[in-house]
Amino acid sequence: MPLGALYPDAISLLELAGVDVSPLRDGSRKLIFTAPDGTVFITTRPSDVPTYVEAGSADIGIVGRDVINERHPDVYELLDLQFGACRMAYATKDGVDPTPEIIARLGVVRVATKYPAVAEAHFLATGRQVELVKVNGSVELGPLVGLADGIVDLVATGRTLRENGLVEREHIFDSSARLIANRVSHKLRAEEIDALTARLAQAVAAESR
Amino acid sequence: MHSVHTLNVSQTDPEMSAVGALPSGARDVLPIEAAELRAVEDALRGTFSRYGYREVRTPVIEFAHHLERAESGGLDRAYRLFDESGRVLVLRPDMTIPVARVIATRFVDHPGPIRVAYTGPSFRAPQPGTPVASEVRNAGAELVGADGPEADAEIVLVLWEALRAAGLSEARIGIGDVSVTAAVLEGLRVPDQIRERLSRAAEARDFVAWRTEAAQFVCPEPQAELLAGLPAMRGHAEVLSRISDLVPSAGAACARMTRLLELLTQEGLHDAVLVDLGILRDWKYYSGLVIEAYASGAALPVAQGGRYDGLASRFGISRPAVGFSIELEPLHRAITQGSTSRDFAFGIVVVGGLDEQLALSARIRAAGITVIGLVAGDARGEALAEAEGWRFVGVPDSGGLRILDRVDGTSFVSARPEEDLSSRR
Repeated sequence: MPLGALYPDAISLLELAGVDVSPLRDGSRKLIFTAPDGTVFITTRPSDVPTYVEAGSADIGIVGRDVINERHPDVYELLDLQFGACRMAYATKDGVDPTPEIIARLGVVRVATKYPAVAEAHFLATGRQVELVKVNGSVELGPLVGLADGIVDLVATGRTLRENGLVEREHIFDSSARLIANRVSHKLRAEEIDALTARLAQAVAAESR
Repeated sequence: MHSVHTLNVSQTDPEMSAVGALPSGARDVLPIEAAELRAVEDALRGTFSRYGYREVRTPVIEFAHHLERAESGGLDRAYRLFDESGRVLVLRPDMTIPVARVIATRFVDHPGPIRVAYTGPSFRAPQPGTPVASEVRNAGAELVGADGPEADAEIVLVLWEALRAAGLSEARIGIGDVSVTAAVLEGLRVPDQIRERLSRAAEARDFVAWRTEAAQFVCPEPQAELLAGLPAMRGHAEVLSRISDLVPSAGAACARMTRLLELLTQEGLHDAVLVDLGILRDWKYYSGLVIEAYASGAALPVAQGGRYDGLASRFGISRPAVGFSIELEPLHRAITQGSTSRDFAFGIVVVGGLDEQLALSARIRAAGITVIGLVAGDARGEALAEAEGWRFVGVPDSGGLRILDRVDGTSFVSARPEEDLSSRR
């Protein structure tokens, strides 16, 4: 279970799919919760979800496409859960986009991001050199204080960008929450995982109606 | 017995303690693990040989351009070096390709079918951030020159029995068939461009991307649903009958796989196998059956394989081939998972076994019991037995040995230890 922005929606969708999520709602600081039916929920920061699933510590997990694209974990991506919709974007300061000028004059654009692999792949694919500055939070600061020319980050409503005088320049990909499964669990517990996936797919369809 | 150990950190020259560091991905194997790995390997080899798979060995170094012929992008992470005349060599990055090379070049007159087995290490540079070893020990078998579902069934059976013989109690074998998938795409006339993207989604195990790409192709309803859900289809024979109902031109491929399932059911493997069309690795390499073996406690499949009829032709000879490769370390981990206590090793530390008790020690060894010798008067007998896990310690006493049995802490004097020890086995 990804703590943070996806957490409440993940709980609601699981509940809609008939999973007993009551232990997740007791507001405790525990990291592991066991439901009466024996289901064990592991809560962790989103970027660690694929790590636990890949290692088989968790059979399945819920995580944003952004994390999958950054980490490329060796897992099955089973279902688009369609909540947590947002987009990965490149943004720079308000006004004329300085990027082409910077590329022309300096050859390389400096980008602050929490997603170095995604950012590098995007600039590589568009034929531009990039210098990455890995930051762990408040990426928007980068261009404002001269740390970087632009940022690559997740954008949901665009409000944070606007309030910090940044403008979205390039759309990289759309993201939303995904259901992932460990390669071995997906086979050893095939029946259970298929049943849950089907119920979640119905819940997603019901939500979008 | 539980006790808190204080680790003995060596206080010597820091430069010397750095000698314990190894290149990334490399590691040492110490006696207990080595013995267990050996036992796993022996069990696998025993199964291979009962089916007539004869061992071949290939060199660790090969010419890069020979392997490159057959590897599709597989030489990416291979270690390269040069020979004395500047030709590029690689440490073999897997075992299948060298074995295919051996079969294509050294078994030219063999009437077939050829059954070969191998065990040995292969080498790939670890990718940063992933805990993958650079040296991987594999054991595998190949059946070459037989192309029917009967050959596929034997390979699945040998894999299953080898895993059981190695001590794996909970396992499952997933079987897919790239020719079924290809026949469905062909039968529905999915254009190449979409096929290419579907193939990429399948290799990434990304069913969401598969569905998105499948939706680009417009076809009537039951078929569209089949296509969208193809890699998620699994179960048993019913999966195949559904496919051949909806896409009649895939009937031959489905019939072949149905026959394979019948044979496996006859061998008692019905519950052990799972038809899973999501097992879709490199389409260019595999031509039919694809198999993966799963064990609880291993995060990745412990074995992979399949049919690659086109592989041998890359070495100049066209022969159908099916086989698998088991990774020893994850298999060992899955077998031993959860076991915390370790049995005593059946052996005796004999104080004086290096000098004054030579004849007595020889008698005990002749009875098939391990003897670890120390010089007479050495006080480390029990400490040595404790460190290495030996069950008995013997100290000379009235013409025989006073023997401590560490299982129950009792001791007894024995004039004929070779007999008294054997009776305690």
